[in-house]
Amino acid sequence: MPKVSALDMPDVPMGQLPEHLQLQRSRVVCKADAPIHLESFCKNFKLEVIRLTEDEIEFDMIGIDASLANAFRRILIAEVPMMAIEKVLMVNNTSVIADEVLAHRLGLIPLNADPRLFEYLSENDSPNERNTIVYKLDVSCRKGGPRMTVKSDQLKWLPNGSELEMTPPNQSAKPKSYTSFSCSQDSMPEFSKKPLGVKHEDIIIAKLGPGQAIELEAHAVKGIGKVHAKWSPVSTAWYRMLPEVVLLKDIKGDDAEKLVKKCPVNVFDIEDLGNGKKKAVVSKPRACTLCRECIRGVNEELVELRRVKDHFIFTIESAGALPPEVLFTEAVKILEDKCDRVISDLS
Amino acid sequence: MDPQPEPVSYICGDCGAENTLRPGDVIQCRECGYRILYKKRTRRIVQYEAR
Amino acid sequence: MEHGSLTDLTASTFSLMDEDHTLANSVRFTLNQDPRVAFCGYSIPHPSDNKVNIRIQTTGDTAKDVLKDGFQNLMIMCQHVRTTFDKAVADYETNRPSKHMNIDTP
Repeated sequence: MPKVSALDMPDVPMGQLPEHLQLQRSRVVCKADAPIHLESFCKNFKLEVIRLTEDEIEFDMIGIDASLANAFRRILIAEVPMMAIEKVLMVNNTSVIADEVLAHRLGLIPLNADPRLFEYLSENDSPNERNTIVYKLDVSCRKGGPRMTVKSDQLKWLPNGSELEMTPPNQSAKPKSYTSFSCSQDSMPEFSKKPLGVKHEDIIIAKLGPGQAIELEAHAVKGIGKVHAKWSPVSTAWYRMLPEVVLLKDIKGDDAEKLVKKCPVNVFDIEDLGNGKKKAVVSKPRACTLCRECIRGVNEELVELRRVKDHFIFTIESAGALPPEVLFTEAVKILEDKCDRVISDLS
Repeated sequence: MDPQPEPVSYICGDCGAENTLRPGDVIQCRECGYRILYKKRTRRIVQYEAR
Repeated sequence: MEHGSLTDLTASTFSLMDEDHTLANSVRFTLNQDPRVAFCGYSIPHPSDNKVNIRIQTTGDTAKDVLKDGFQNLMIMCQHVRTTFDKAVADYETNRPSKHMNIDTP
């Protein structure tokens, strides 16, 4: 629909709508992008992986609505489960870092554990080998020696569960452990090959002065990013619409040179037309950040910046527990499960 | 409450030596005689939520 | 989940517990593609409640059936996205070695 300034609109008789609104009210205008039906969606939907590394993926999703692309993004950040330290049992901490701050720092350490192999620990459940990972941190700094740094690789996995005992309510009761593991986790086939360590071994947890010590046990459980960001499986996940840069008129000679220089990400290039003539062309529209430097001032009528509404450049940065391509399929599965839940509730 | 009060460990504010004191004892370091003592952290387990 | 109107089955408000924009906006999109839907929209009555209300008015069919179809369509779309994604990743993996060689050779 062409843009009409409110001041230029014709007067409308009382009780009626302006012509363009009347049309919108009474007619469905069938354009190419109007209703997408399932079959045409399946036919037109395209997906292309641009870059895939151990912890990052970039792909183009073409022919999908923003509502779905956004649903995937939201699920990736907030609803795909992860393992993270949730409970810290502090036995001794004489370092300068306060107990609760230390506990919070431990919670944010990414663990190298596949959350699909674990169950959620519900409130009236006791921690067992299927829902809890136990780590121990026991470090001390020698008296008279130099200061030391405690790093994440000093967290030791305890496959047999907690080594600490609860103080019994009365003298006669037998002391109980904090976890009730029925078997050792490293005897289970899924963990025997891959120990459940931390993802990065060089994260600084605390610093100890001479004579100071930390002794604690940390219990990791499964959770989702909606509850706390430590359970978010991604560093970030985002998308942007494909930029489209259009030259409305030919830009030649010095103007072309100026335009090429203006762009900080080198979207434009010079095409040699022979006999010393030059013309500006759009060579890398994908790199455009829509900074609008190129349309500042004089160029506004020459260059137009657009975005393709149904072409999403999707990037997922994994926090480490799962590879990024697995995270995306998990996210889509979660949306399917949500639908499934509602459908069965409705029937 | 306790019939037999447990001796409590203190750390000297000057030399850092460990002292065990009972109720009624003189508050003074046995090593250096300094009169400021700090209570030592017990090994009782404290549970924190990592949030 | 509750059902809104009892007298007129072609117009209902459904209330989904423990859901948010993620599901509501997606299903709003699929419902708006359905020619039987005259009106569809959603709202979150209060940001601290974990619920969404989805309003559907149809041209004659039962709103409940139309909503169910909306979720069904959303599920089919998701499945298609997933198979396409898996295929795209597999394609990328098979083509990767040759790409690496192109970079290495001068």
